[in-house]
Amino acid sequence: MTVLILDNEAVQALVTRHHPKFEIVVAHLESHARRGGQRQLPDAVWVPTTVRVEAGWDRTDPSTAHANRLNLRDRPLDSDRANAAARLVQLHGVSPADAHIGAMVETLGDEVVIVLTSDPKDIARVCPPRSIRIVRI
Amino acid sequence: MDRLAALDRIIELLDAPEGPTVNTSMRLPDTLREAVALAVGALDLAPSTTTFTADAMRTELNRVVLRAGLDALYEEYPDARPTLAQVTLARAQQDGHPSADEPHTIERAVGALGAARPGVELDPDDVLLWIDAQRAVGA
Repeated sequence: MTVLILDNEAVQALVTRHHPKFEIVVAHLESHARRGGQRQLPDAVWVPTTVRVEAGWDRTDPSTAHANRLNLRDRPLDSDRANAAARLVQLHGVSPADAHIGAMVETLGDEVVIVLTSDPKDIARVCPPRSIRIVRI
Repeated sequence: MDRLAALDRIIELLDAPEGPTVNTSMRLPDTLREAVALAVGALDLAPSTTTFTADAMRTELNRVVLRAGLDALYEEYPDARPTLAQVTLARAQQDGHPSADEPHTIERAVGALGAARPGVELDPDDVLLWIDAQRAVGA
């Protein structure tokens, strides 16, 4: 399975129709949707809830209804993952949203993980050395 | 329930914590049922046929819901539909393809492939394979 994770600016672009990177992020979602083959099958697109907070995306806001329909799934932090994210913040001085992504990636198995981000350096710092693909938008 | 309301409800259900299970009276071809039982029992591909079936349904739902969501987006905003070249560039970046930083190469390949196979619906992988083949021939 292939998991697509959205960082702050990717979310902001998607919920704001006239954002300059809206089309870029939609093209990435379209690419994800067209994946085939057993290992490459698309899983849902994940949005860590801390990323959603940072991006200011309130799902009850009617102006973001189009984004709600794209199966962008919330990934909250449980207690263990919150501890892991807190450690990443202390260790690397990254934002809570980036630390949430790192803590989330730690729990994944053999999925192919792709992170869409405008800050590849911070994502590379918080994600464990595994087969994660970081795509700059 | 209209299409968009159904889509909203499906996503809400997929996002909700899994509650109690229910028995269903789903009718399956006998051969398919036996094949799944063997995949679980003999190949150990899942803990149970129930898990196997539920996982397969969840995977397929994720796929079709994203597809339906994108189609709804393009219906509302027709100019949001990306071109094949844009989708291929995104795929190249996601997969670390050598042409990930070469949008013009991808655009040329989309044009050449479209001319070679008029009327055929092309996929990003077709375009990237074409580029790989052209490079191999030119090497």
